[in-house]
Amino acid sequence: MTDVAVSRGKNCTLGQFSAMASPCEILLETADMTLCRELTLLAAAEAERIEQKYSRYRTDSVLSQLNQGAGQWQQLDDETAQLLTFANTCYQLSDGLFDISSGILRRAWQFDGSDRLASQAQLAALLPHIGWHQVQLKPKQILLPAGMELDLGGIAKEYAVDKVLQLLRAQFTPSSLPSIVVNFGGDMHCSRPRHDGSLWHIGIENPGLVDHAISAVGLTTGALATSGDSRRFLLKDGVRYSHILNPKTGWPVTDAPRSVTVAAPNCLLAGMLATTALLQGASAEAFLQAQGLKYWLVA
Amino acid sequence: MQLKQLANISAALAAASCAVLGQDAQAGTVLDDWQFNSAILLYNETDRVSAGEAILSARGDFGDDKYLNLGLVVDALTGASATGAVAQPGVQCFTRPSGRGSYEVASGDTPLDDTFHDTRVQLDASWEQPLAPNWRLTAGGHLSKEYDYLSMGVNSILARDFNQKNTTVSVGLSYSHDTIKPEGGIAFAYAPMLLRTDYADDDSYQAAFNATRDRADDTKDTVDMLLGLTQVINRDWLMQFNYSLSMADGYMTDPFKLVSVVNSNGEVQQNLYESRPDKRTKHSVYWQNKLHLGGTYLDASYRYMWDDWELKSHTADVKWRFPVSEQWYVEPQLRYYQQSAAEFYLPFLQQSDSLPQYASADYRIGKMSTYTLGAKFGTKLAAGNELSFRIALYQQNPEQDGADAPGVLANVDLYEKVTAVMAQVSYSF
Repeated sequence: MTDVAVSRGKNCTLGQFSAMASPCEILLETADMTLCRELTLLAAAEAERIEQKYSRYRTDSVLSQLNQGAGQWQQLDDETAQLLTFANTCYQLSDGLFDISSGILRRAWQFDGSDRLASQAQLAALLPHIGWHQVQLKPKQILLPAGMELDLGGIAKEYAVDKVLQLLRAQFTPSSLPSIVVNFGGDMHCSRPRHDGSLWHIGIENPGLVDHAISAVGLTTGALATSGDSRRFLLKDGVRYSHILNPKTGWPVTDAPRSVTVAAPNCLLAGMLATTALLQGASAEAFLQAQGLKYWLVA
Repeated sequence: MQLKQLANISAALAAASCAVLGQDAQAGTVLDDWQFNSAILLYNETDRVSAGEAILSARGDFGDDKYLNLGLVVDALTGASATGAVAQPGVQCFTRPSGRGSYEVASGDTPLDDTFHDTRVQLDASWEQPLAPNWRLTAGGHLSKEYDYLSMGVNSILARDFNQKNTTVSVGLSYSHDTIKPEGGIAFAYAPMLLRTDYADDDSYQAAFNATRDRADDTKDTVDMLLGLTQVINRDWLMQFNYSLSMADGYMTDPFKLVSVVNSNGEVQQNLYESRPDKRTKHSVYWQNKLHLGGTYLDASYRYMWDDWELKSHTADVKWRFPVSEQWYVEPQLRYYQQSAAEFYLPFLQQSDSLPQYASADYRIGKMSTYTLGAKFGTKLAAGNELSFRIALYQQNPEQDGADAPGVLANVDLYEKVTAVMAQVSYSF
């Protein structure tokens, strides 16, 4: 079982654990430490379940098994089928920019703050194996062409935030539901406004101030997700290359904001919109305005 | 292709994300939701004014951060209020401000006009909406009507968020036009209060009374400007600074207030209707802190007000809310207020002195300190509804400012203290 720590915060109780390569927090508005511990244990177990299922680092994960079975039709469980259907919708609506088959570009790009750009030859070798349109998806089956790989890194954490909150919500009757925030490394979802009417002030990473790192955003209900390049980038000849890669060209998106935070009814939606906004490059803000949702942008 | 990329895809994605999460899609950006607040307030001054007030306000959420705020206030006042005339060792006789009827004030008592009663209805409405990212506009109006008073106004506030909404700067402007039409009309400045008993018959009294009246009604125009700064200091501390400027032009005399003219022995020779300037410019600065302190919630504010009537006031207000059980909270309040007298405030006029340009003996613009000591008890009910009870003691302590009391005035209370009790029940749903 994952290690969890519970402490009393100012005006809340706080449960913490580590999952999906992020610090994870459960914030509860009541002072009930026992309740906070129970909720945090549930949250950690659910986060671990999702991580085990969709991590590309674990060879036994459902995702790794799918990638190893490329080239043949494979059966999908309900949850995975729904996630891939969502990824398909994202691909269609973003006009091909949000593509879960683009993860193999990592072989050419290491965003370690250095000046090592990928070579066009490397990219040319990878691009034929990228493109969700090559994947055949049926309600319960998938055919992933040989040489292609799927990566749910752009969805899994946000999905986990929403699923964890759903699980915690289910522990209460609607009238007894407290204000709970599930925050996985800045992607967060809140169950309901706090009873005292105050906002949850939660730090989100601000790439403009890397080491000061955070600035607070007020949250009452709904979800926030952030996409950005605060730590992962390349710098060559004064040009900053963000880790957001255009799956069609294999190159980092240019002129994109450093960071985008979107508020939406759930974290999956917020995260998808934040990432898609960055993929629009210089049109990111125009894209966000068209969505009719709240957003914060660091240029 | 560019057009397609910049289209609104959030609705289609919201439906897709809800399918993954096994929830029904919610209309995430269009919530049509109303929140109501209601309250009943009772105010009772010992031997003086009693008031009852009912408040109903509603806030409608039209989505996209657009809100409609509506308010209705109905209040009724009854009882006696100080006329401004001084107490005397003997019984005094006064004519009611309407000119019809009279009343007597017992020896040593502060003269109070006991026919004070009124009902007021006020309607407010405002609309709030974002203008552009980080810009918000609120525009509204009010209409308030009582028997002899009508107030109409418009107001607007423009707010701009900076620093990821941690800083808000706001600018407000409002205009109000008030009309007063007191029963019996408006007296000339320093018109004497006439007594029916000094006249042989009703006709000669009425003719003399009418001669003290200048006009039936008058108006006042007020422009208020506000400059505000709200700053989130950290997750537990919110600070606000406001500067406001209020410029009023018109009739600001209280048509019911008197000033007594006394001789060198302090005996009242005559009571005159007061006279105040017809312009007033007020400035105020306000500093508020809202703090979370270990599960409790502290609201502390200070206001300094000064105006060209030379009235200066300080207000300090502290409210501290803390939970007493899972369901209930208690919020004690202490408010202290202190003001200096307006330059034309005089508790009485001396017969030997010439009349100043302006004079008022209304204790509310004299030197005074007040304090409010109260507590609110609130509880959360099902579905986020809130019920609260508030009780408070309000003490007004007028003070002597310079003027020595000659003769008989030394033996009466010229600065009578006023104690009031307030009780309020509020329900939000």
